[in-house]
Amino acid sequence: MANQHHFLTLKEVCFSYSGDREILSDINFSLPKAELLGIIGPNGSGKTTLLNVISGILKPNKGEVFLENQNLNHLSIEKIAKKISVVPQNTWVTFNFKAKEVVFMGRMPYISRIKGESLEDYEISREAMIKTHSLSLSENNIQEISGGERQRVFLAKALAQTPQLLLLDEFTSHLDLNYKYEMLNLLKNTLKKESLTIISTFHDLNLASIASDRLLLLNNGKIEKMGTPEEVLNEENLHRAYKAKPILINHPLFNVPQVIM
Amino acid sequence: MNIFKKSILITIFLFIALNLFLLIGLSNIVNYPLTVIDETGTAVTVPKEPQRLVSTAPSNTEILFALGLGEKVVGITNYCNFPEESKNIEKIGEISPLNYEKIISLNPDITLAYGGFQLKDIPRLRELGINTIVLEPLNLRDTFKSIKMIATVCGIPNKGSLLVNNLTKRVDKIKSKVSGISISSQPKIFIGGTSETIYTPGAGTLFNELITMAGGQNIAAGLSFWKKISPEFVAEAEPDIIIVPVGVMNQEEESKVKEIISKRTGWSNIPAIKNQKIFIVNEDLFYRAVPRLVDGLELLYKIFHE
Amino acid sequence: MNKTLIKNTGYVNWRKKLILILIIGSLTILGVGIICLNFGVVSINPKDIISLLLNGTQDKTKSLIIWQLRAPRIVLGALTGAALSTVGGAFQGILRNPLADPYILGVSAGAALGACIGIALQYVTGYILASYLPVFAFIGAMLSLYLVYKSSKISYSANSTGLLLAGVAITFLFSALITVLLALSRRELHSMVFWLMGDLSTANWKKISIITLPVIIGSSMLFFSSLDLNALSLGEEEALHLGINTGKLRIRIFLIGSIIIATVVSFTGLIGFVGLIIPHIARLLVGPDHRIMLPIAAFLGGVFLILCDVLARILMAPTEIPIGAITAIVGAPLFIYLLRRKNK
Repeated sequence: MANQHHFLTLKEVCFSYSGDREILSDINFSLPKAELLGIIGPNGSGKTTLLNVISGILKPNKGEVFLENQNLNHLSIEKIAKKISVVPQNTWVTFNFKAKEVVFMGRMPYISRIKGESLEDYEISREAMIKTHSLSLSENNIQEISGGERQRVFLAKALAQTPQLLLLDEFTSHLDLNYKYEMLNLLKNTLKKESLTIISTFHDLNLASIASDRLLLLNNGKIEKMGTPEEVLNEENLHRAYKAKPILINHPLFNVPQVIM
Repeated sequence: MNIFKKSILITIFLFIALNLFLLIGLSNIVNYPLTVIDETGTAVTVPKEPQRLVSTAPSNTEILFALGLGEKVVGITNYCNFPEESKNIEKIGEISPLNYEKIISLNPDITLAYGGFQLKDIPRLRELGINTIVLEPLNLRDTFKSIKMIATVCGIPNKGSLLVNNLTKRVDKIKSKVSGISISSQPKIFIGGTSETIYTPGAGTLFNELITMAGGQNIAAGLSFWKKISPEFVAEAEPDIIIVPVGVMNQEEESKVKEIISKRTGWSNIPAIKNQKIFIVNEDLFYRAVPRLVDGLELLYKIFHE
Repeated sequence: MNKTLIKNTGYVNWRKKLILILIIGSLTILGVGIICLNFGVVSINPKDIISLLLNGTQDKTKSLIIWQLRAPRIVLGALTGAALSTVGGAFQGILRNPLADPYILGVSAGAALGACIGIALQYVTGYILASYLPVFAFIGAMLSLYLVYKSSKISYSANSTGLLLAGVAITFLFSALITVLLALSRRELHSMVFWLMGDLSTANWKKISIITLPVIIGSSMLFFSSLDLNALSLGEEEALHLGINTGKLRIRIFLIGSIIIATVVSFTGLIGFVGLIIPHIARLLVGPDHRIMLPIAAFLGGVFLILCDVLARILMAPTEIPIGAITAIVGAPLFIYLLRRKNK
């Protein structure tokens, strides 16, 4: 029985692709609303797989995922799409749609195939583009803008989907320095204003430390440690996961641990 | 009545009867409308003597001209190349698929068609209201039957019989000459072209029939219809004579063909090549179900035994 | 409604656009079709055609040629071109592959094998089978459809690659069988090869009455999946995240598209190039939004094939050039030209 206080709960989740080695083992954690959880860990630790299990497109072999007390397994993907949206790592689009058309696709879960879309769908899409500073890209072809610009467009699409839980996979990796902080700020503001819960995988430990309310350190498919940045980012944990011995200092402004090689 | 009068009456009666008999038997009168069963098993009704004829196969064109009906032919295919007089007749195009538009515009009374790969176009032709008779003779006897049928349909059955009788006489002459030749002295024959891939006619083809009739032994007689064979097969069979059916060629081209065949790998020991018994022939005499088949037969006899 | 708001949000009344396209498209095809009635081996001048259309039968021969030969060909061309283009566009969308064509999923190879077997048999059993050739082709098509369906193990977790591979494999298998059949059949070779190259000359009204409904209904069903196809181009997982049941979508598009193609190909043989290139041309003209692109492709395909058929029957009259050759010879340069114009 899921805990009433928690928005998202993973209970003893295990996952492997048919017969292969286990990618995720015994994942247990809970997340309240309006929190930003950062998932970190070395390559191959299962970060993206965990995200896909949470988003419902991968079904765990053992264990369950609960969203607001509902087992994801019992929800149709249409229903899930109204609650959860994802910004992927790979943003390649086969056909050369305009950026605004891509953002508009975020409204798909809400558009009846028979009745078609409404003006509201267009307004929401536009709002999302304004928030992510991508309105100027509306008329550009999606295959002709830079990787960073595409990620902002895809973020707009995910926001246009008006989710309660937003999942991001290595979102900031292609962004310029200024956009990195700007987008993270945007996410935190939306989180506060609209009670949006956010889970993001990070390759950059320092950014993760600054942005996240809590961190989840994944190692070989198991949770190495979950807690505040101070609790997670210490020499011991990092050595166990990354087999490296970094130096940790305190960020002067944000008062969170930062890793220096 | 006394006996004298009686015998005169009987004589007169018999005389009239005989004349009537001869008259009807020899008459060229055909009663229209006439119904024939064609190759497809369809009963085709010919309402009156046809004045406008379309031929969709070179064999039918040749037969029509041989029967003296050339004037009435209003459409022939691109491939109808014999006789020379047919050159200027309007062309209807390919043998398959048929150009229905063209055939319709020529307004034929009867269309003489072929079977084979043209067969699938016939239903549509009939659907469009074109009166069509399909012929597909596969041996000499059926060829003669076709000639007679065409003649009857066109209102000149006697001419058909005459033509067939003449042809039959010539065939019988060859047959009797051949009957005097023992099997062991009948040469082994290989029919082949110049192309790398060898296709040769076996049992069931016109060519094979002619070869046998002309007193030869086709090395491919054990195969049925046209078959692809390997060069080894030919080398092993050791034919005495090689016949090469081609289109029109001049002297130079002919000797080149003989050279190519002689030089073929693995064939140097074949009697036909050792004795240089390679003969180029006009393929139309052997592939088409036409009167000229008998010309072909006579040519083969000459090659085999003279 | 606030006009500036509409303009800024990029609100597109696509339904209005679609109706406009349908009307203009239909009128265009009708117009082109009537004009093309003029062309053929036999010269019939426009005055006669118009009086024929308005008054009815006068000259029996001309009437026969126009109504029984040319008109059915033009209608069949329009339907076939539209079907090939719509299915080609839909398959490109579902496989996320701009090089896909309507034959890529194997149905056409099955139809071809069925037709070739039918042709080989008719020589043995007589010409009664000649009219039933489309039945052979259709059965062959359904067989390959079944085989591809089974071998791709289409499930909700499979992706488009499995479908593509199964289609390609079955196509290769059937093509090999066809090659063997061709090698064994010296007499029917000509007919088989001609069928394989595509042929509209056997069109008649009965055939058209059989294929019209499946083509129109099937194409409409494909049009309805336009939004889903749009989203699918973001990627398999992305589409799932947007709540689209990609497994079901794939099956739906594959089955509907294959049945349309099987129906059309059984009567016309394999006309190539149209299904591959017309969707691209449509995209170049109106963009990749399937809601607009698919209907445009349908009309473009219909007009294109009608025009190609005219060329096929007048360029070397009275010999007919196989229409598959014309579509390639005309289509390729046209496509290159449009590509260059776009990149300028």
